[in-house]
Amino acid sequence: MDRKWRLWGTLGVLAALAVGGLLGFIVLPVVQGRAVGIDAFTAICRAVGILPGSPARPTPPSEATPQPVTQVAWTTATFEELYHAERANGARLAGELCVSCHTLEGNTTDPSIPRNIGQSVFALYKQLHDFRSGSRVNETMSPLVKDLDDKQIADLAAYYGRLFRGAIDPDQSGLYVGTDIENIVSNGDVARGLPPCSACHATRTGGPIETPTLTGQYAQYLEAQLKAFASGTRHNDIYHRMRSVAAKLTPDEIRLLAIRYSGQ
Amino acid sequence: MPRHKNLVLAHLWLAFGVFAVATVFGVWQMWVRSPLHAPYENPQNYFLSVTAHGVSMAYVLTTFFVMGFGYFVAETALRQALPWAEGAWIGFWVAAAGAVMAALTILSGGASVLYTFYPPLTASPFFYIGLVMVVVGSWIWCAIMIAAMARWKRANPGQAVPLAMFATVANAIMWLWTTAGVAVELLFQVIPAAIGWTDTVDVGMSRTLFSWTLHAIVYFWLLPAYIAFYTMAPEAAGGRLYSDTMGRLTFVLFLLYSLPVGLHHLFMDPEHSTGFKFVQTTLTALVTVPTLLTVFTITASFEVAGRLNGGTGVFGWLRRLPWHRPMVLATGLAFVMLWFGGGGGLINMSYGMNAMIHNTSWITAHFHLIFGGTVVIMYFAIAYQIWPQLTGRAVDAGELAQQRWQLWLWAIGMMVMTLPWHWLGLEGQWRRVAHFNYDDPLIAWWGSWVDLSLLGGVILLISAWLFIVNLARLHARQPAGQAQAQPMHYAISLHPVVRLPAALNGFALWNALVLVLMAAAYGWPIGQFIAQPSPAAIVHHVDRPG
Repeated sequence: MDRKWRLWGTLGVLAALAVGGLLGFIVLPVVQGRAVGIDAFTAICRAVGILPGSPARPTPPSEATPQPVTQVAWTTATFEELYHAERANGARLAGELCVSCHTLEGNTTDPSIPRNIGQSVFALYKQLHDFRSGSRVNETMSPLVKDLDDKQIADLAAYYGRLFRGAIDPDQSGLYVGTDIENIVSNGDVARGLPPCSACHATRTGGPIETPTLTGQYAQYLEAQLKAFASGTRHNDIYHRMRSVAAKLTPDEIRLLAIRYSGQ
Repeated sequence: MPRHKNLVLAHLWLAFGVFAVATVFGVWQMWVRSPLHAPYENPQNYFLSVTAHGVSMAYVLTTFFVMGFGYFVAETALRQALPWAEGAWIGFWVAAAGAVMAALTILSGGASVLYTFYPPLTASPFFYIGLVMVVVGSWIWCAIMIAAMARWKRANPGQAVPLAMFATVANAIMWLWTTAGVAVELLFQVIPAAIGWTDTVDVGMSRTLFSWTLHAIVYFWLLPAYIAFYTMAPEAAGGRLYSDTMGRLTFVLFLLYSLPVGLHHLFMDPEHSTGFKFVQTTLTALVTVPTLLTVFTITASFEVAGRLNGGTGVFGWLRRLPWHRPMVLATGLAFVMLWFGGGGGLINMSYGMNAMIHNTSWITAHFHLIFGGTVVIMYFAIAYQIWPQLTGRAVDAGELAQQRWQLWLWAIGMMVMTLPWHWLGLEGQWRRVAHFNYDDPLIAWWGSWVDLSLLGGVILLISAWLFIVNLARLHARQPAGQAQAQPMHYAISLHPVVRLPAALNGFALWNALVLVLMAAAYGWPIGQFIAQPSPAAIVHHVDRPG
């Protein structure tokens, strides 16, 4: 009796496995592949996972030419560079290039110039990189950064970004400027297809990674940037995210949102 | 009567205490997602709460309940003392310390990653280390269960291991297999990333390793309910177990087919090929076999009881069952919920149909109905059954009525909560979000259904706390003149077990077959990440400022 159980138990389990394997690896891929013009061998290799793609769909032909709005790619190498950036070198560069407008503390008093102190390292890196590549244009910034290499940009970003708990502090809450603006911040506006600002510009864990911290930034600067996005003169936002949002806001909302985030 | 009553009580009280607190979190979450304004409402609090609720219910309630109940079965079914009671206490304290560590990390906001281990979202290392300690405690339990059965077999050569113990050891062995996946993921991927030793993580591999654990863990939670179906419900109904062999086959099939099926949680993931997803769908379909065997066997056992009690006709025996007994009532209610929950599960496991309900509220509703409903109601029934054994105090008629009230409230609350939730999932309501914008005309109509779900949640909360009160009352002094609690009896099978094949009295053959199935189902899906390393993802720490 013991032997019979062992034998039939094993055969039963293996038979069920074989049926699943036969259907999943051979019958279905061959039949589905034939319907979309994939030969049997390729279909089976795809079903097993040795070749990429699905056995039920032809490989999609892509003729689109990519036109990136930014040259920054968040690869492991980029992160390694930022994690191991030399702040001392960043401070030296800041003393040479940035000090006259942004000050060494990153806390300028001119409200048309953004504060850098405590800004996200990733946001600073992307903006500097975009000024260098031409993705973002500014008559002062563009020529200043054009000769910097990736490492120098990372060092500068790390220097200003890690002036920790500076003027820009994601943990601070915004200034209350009315229910309508708070509603846009936390709920957006479905009628206009506006996503909530807080979907990306959250406290602490905002995202995508290059999302800048807004709390504590100058209102005048924020307003100018929103208007630039709205008109399309600034266009280094991936997937048109900010351009499409800003274009749907009224001038009044832009002004109030800038005040709300600046806290002033 | 068990000798180590305090050991069992410590496990079960910790499990139920955490459960009671976690129900409060759960109701608050339903409230936040409803159109009604909830206190402390913001996304940070919501995700903290979901993490606390999920970890408490899925890891703490279950693990401590399974361990405590296992120790009880080992002593009462085998009628021998535990092989290593000191070890059991060590396991308890290690797991309890781990649970406290994880809880403190969650409450401090350092672990709002929900209760799934899906990098690159990464919590504080203390969260993961705490949960590893819970698992280590449960491994000690597994060793003691296996040792207890081995010792009994040596002392009783050729005898059939009592079904309750056979099933408990099946669960222990399954748990050892189950935890291997998540243990590798945590030790080699997640914890190094959480500590900061690595900046990147192979997300495809970690999801695959988690899927190894993700489905079988559900059966680890479920098996105590099945143990109660087979070994307690027929006895409580006043009959016999229809077939002991059917029970053994059921637990063996769970051991075999709960493991090589986890890819059905990754149907929409791009890192696996269609072939392996299909094979695992086929194997998942086989999990329905032990469930159907059980429905048949337990219904037959109840029919035997009903007819012994004078029931006649096709359905007349149903009316003659002792529904006033909590174990019988809970089994009936569990079967009703299993009908709906199991039907939903068939949709989730189908490679094609899954796409309709993927990542919607349907999934959350499904696991609440099948786990929170079918399984947890049997945890209640088991507790009601064994508490008199642990406190030595019999239950009086008033207390019995209160227990029935609690079970009814639980079943009704669970149906009221999960049926609208399923419906909204079918309509596309997404899960894992803190907030719905009910101003949106497209989804405004969801509001009243979510309110209805919330009402179900409130009923569940009342039932949960009534359960705690019911158990606490059984610790009071025995009223004068009341009979003492009866010793524990497990159901006797209709046909006495004369001789069993070795295959149904041990696990050697089945372990070998699990190995074969796991190699076939997971060999290449895991091996591919070593053969063709995929692009790594950047670790995202929720416990560090951005």
